[in-house]
Amino acid sequence: MNVIHQFTLFFQQLGILGTHPVTYFILFPSVVMGIIFGAMPGLTATLGVALLTTVTYGMSTGMAMVSLLAIYVGAVYGGSYASILINIPGTAAAAATAIDGYPLALKGEGGRALGLTTTASAIGTIIGMLFVLALSPLISALALQFTSFEFFLLAFFGILISGTLTTPDLVIKGWIAGFIGLFLAAIGRDHLQFYPRFTFGISQLDSGIDVVPVLIGAFGIPQIIQVIKDKITVGEAKKFKRVFPEFKTIIRHGPDILRSALIGVGIGAVPGIGEDIAAWVSYGVAKNSSKHPETFGKGEYAAVISTETANNACVGGAQIPLYNLGIPGSPPAAMLLGALLIHGIQPGPLITFDHPTFIPQVVAILFLSSIAMWVSGMLLVKQVIKILRIPPPVFMPIIAVLCIIGSYSLGARIFNLFLMLPVGIIAYFLTEMGYPVAPLVIGVILGPMADENLRRALMVSKGSFLPIFTRPVSLILFILILTIMLSQTKMYKKLKGYIIHRFFKDKKHTGGND
Amino acid sequence: MYEEKQLRKADFITSIILMVFGIWIILMASRMPMKATYGGVQNTWYVSPALFPLIIGSAIIILSILLLIHSTKAGGAKTFFREMASGGIISEKSLRFWIMIVLFISTVYLYIPRIDFFLSVVLFLLVFISIFYFDEIRLMIRLFLFYVAITILLLLLFIFRLDTILNRSFVYFTDSIILIFIIFFIIYCRILIKKNRQLIQKFRLILLVSFSTPLILCPVFKYLLLVPLPKEGGIIYLFNIIRYSLL
Repeated sequence: MNVIHQFTLFFQQLGILGTHPVTYFILFPSVVMGIIFGAMPGLTATLGVALLTTVTYGMSTGMAMVSLLAIYVGAVYGGSYASILINIPGTAAAAATAIDGYPLALKGEGGRALGLTTTASAIGTIIGMLFVLALSPLISALALQFTSFEFFLLAFFGILISGTLTTPDLVIKGWIAGFIGLFLAAIGRDHLQFYPRFTFGISQLDSGIDVVPVLIGAFGIPQIIQVIKDKITVGEAKKFKRVFPEFKTIIRHGPDILRSALIGVGIGAVPGIGEDIAAWVSYGVAKNSSKHPETFGKGEYAAVISTETANNACVGGAQIPLYNLGIPGSPPAAMLLGALLIHGIQPGPLITFDHPTFIPQVVAILFLSSIAMWVSGMLLVKQVIKILRIPPPVFMPIIAVLCIIGSYSLGARIFNLFLMLPVGIIAYFLTEMGYPVAPLVIGVILGPMADENLRRALMVSKGSFLPIFTRPVSLILFILILTIMLSQTKMYKKLKGYIIHRFFKDKKHTGGND
Repeated sequence: MYEEKQLRKADFITSIILMVFGIWIILMASRMPMKATYGGVQNTWYVSPALFPLIIGSAIIILSILLLIHSTKAGGAKTFFREMASGGIISEKSLRFWIMIVLFISTVYLYIPRIDFFLSVVLFLLVFISIFYFDEIRLMIRLFLFYVAITILLLLLFIFRLDTILNRSFVYFTDSIILIFIIFFIIYCRILIKKNRQLIQKFRLILLVSFSTPLILCPVFKYLLLVPLPKEGGIIYLFNIIRYSLL
C-alpha cells in the first residue's frame, strides 16, 4: 500500500467520520474530559485512556478509537493550563511549558500563552498525524521482513531505552523496573507449551495478568496517594482575558514549530519514552538554537510553542511503532495497545492486510481530535479552570472509585480489582524510590512478544544466536542495545569525555587562532 | 521521591530484596521442564518455558548487585544501620499514607465483594473525603479510629461467617448493617464538627459527593454499559425496580 493510497483512504475515512453525527457526540466530550484530566495535577493521559477503555468496551472499534484518541490528545494539551496559570504542570508532558508559560501569565499574558499552546498543540497533532500516514506503509513493508529475532531485540530495545531515558534516578533502576514488568508478563500459562508459570495453582492467573488493571493501578493509585499524602493543593489560577488563536505569532515561529514537530515525532517513535521527554528535548533545542537564549525562562513565546508542538506531535509519533510493530511509543500508547487487543485488533506488520482502513481511520480521528481540541481550548478554558478549584481531597477519591470500577468492569472480574491494588501500592513505593513506572508497563506489554519471539527464533536456528549477527536489522538492534548498556559504564563515560575534549574542544582552539 | 540519603538507604534495602526475588525466580524456573517432555513436546533449553524466567531472574540479580554496590558506596548501608538503632516518630505524612492504605484494602478486599456496590462506594467516599478534607489531624485520627473499630467488628462477622447465617433470615442483612454504619458515621462526624461553620459547610459537600457519585456511576455502568456490578444488594435491587417498573 503506497503513500498516495493511504492519503486517499484518509480522506475517505475523514468523510465517513466527519459526516456521522455520533462522532461529534463522542469526540467533544472525550476531548473535554481529556483536557480536564490533563489540567488536573495527579491525573495523566494514560489513566484517562485506561479509564475510558473500560467505558468504551461495548462500543464499536471505530467509536472506541474516537473516544480514546480524543482523550489522549486532549490530556496531552490540557497539561498546559495548570502549567501556565498555576505553575504546577497538569501532566509531566507540560512541565517544560511551565518554565515560560507561567512568567507570561505573571505579565498578564496568560490568555495569549493559552492561545499559543492551543494552536501549537493542534498543529503538532496534525503534523504527527501526517507522519503516521506517510511512514506507516514504509515501516510495515520493512517490518514484514522482520523475523522472530528482530522482534525479540526490538522488544528488548524498547524496554532498555525506556528505562534509560525515563528514570529520575539511576539508569539501572529503569532497567530493573523493565525486568519486573517482564516478570509480570511471564505469569500465566506460556503461549508455546501452555505450561503454568508463577500461577501458584490460582486458576485466575492461568490467562496471565490483564494489562488494563496493571496500568490503572500503576498510574492511578500512586498519584492518588501522592496528592493526598503531600497535601498537594492547586493554587489560585492567574486571571486572564480572552484566549486568542495568535496565528500571526505562530506563523512567525514557523521554523520552531516544524523543528519541534519533527523532534516530537522522532521521540514518540522510540518505544517507551513519551511526551514529557519530547517537550524537554524540544525546549533544549529551541533554547540552544535561539538568537536570544537569555530570554528563555522569562516568558519566551518560542519556548511555549516548542514544548507544546513537540508533546502533541509525540502523540502521532508514538502511534507509528504502535500500529506497525505492535510496540507502543509512549505510556498512553501502551494503554491504546491494550484497548486495541480488547477490540480484536492485533497491531503489527499485518495490520494493513487484516484491517486496511484502520490506520487511515485512526489518522482521520487524530485530525478531528486536533480540531475538537482547538475549538474546546478556545471556548472552554475558563470553565475547565473552574474544575481545578475542586479540592484534591474531594476529587481524588472519585478518581479512586473510577479506578476501582474501571479495573473490575473489563470482563467483570473481581480478581482484576484484587490485582490492581497491590500493583498500585508497589508502583507507589517504586516511584518514591526513584524507579520509573513507564518501563514496568512497557515490560508488561512487550513481555509476551519478547518471550515468544526469542523461543521461536531459537527453535528455527536450533539454539544458535548466530542469526543476530548475520541479519542486518538484528545486528543494528544488537549494537544499539550493547551501546545503551555500555553507556552506563565508567569506561564509556571516560572515552566519551576524551573524544569530546580531543576532537571538539581542540577544534575550537584552532578556530580561534585563525 | 525520597531525599538523597533516604534514597540510598532505600536502595540498600531494595537491592537485597530484589536479589532474593531474582534468586526465587531462578529457583522456580529450575522446576520448569528443561529437558523432559511436557504436553507432548520434547523440551530442549531453547524451547523450555524456563528460558525467559531464567533470563529475567539473572538480570534482576546482576542489576540488584550493581545497585547494592552503588548504595553501599553512597552510604546507604550506614544510614540504614544507624536508623535501625534509633527509633522514629510517625509523621503526619506517613499517617495519611497508612490511613489511605487501610481504606483501600478494607474497601477492595472486605466491602466490595460482600456489600451492595452502591453502599461500598458511599462508605468509601464518605470516610475518605471526611478524613482528608477536614484537614485537622485530631478529626482525622478520631474518624479513622471509628472506621477501623467498626471494620474490625464486620471483619469478625465475615470471618466467622455470621453474615451468611444472618443473610439467610433477611437477605439484605449485611447491607442494612453497612447502612447503619454509614448513618452512625455521619452522626459521629456531625457531633465532632458541631460548632465549626466552615467544617459544617465542607461536610455538606462531602455528603453531596458521597451520595451523588455512586448515584450516577451505578446506573451508568449497570444500565448503559451493561456491566454487572461486583455485588448487587438492596440498593441496586431498588434501582432495578425503578428502572424496570417505573421507567
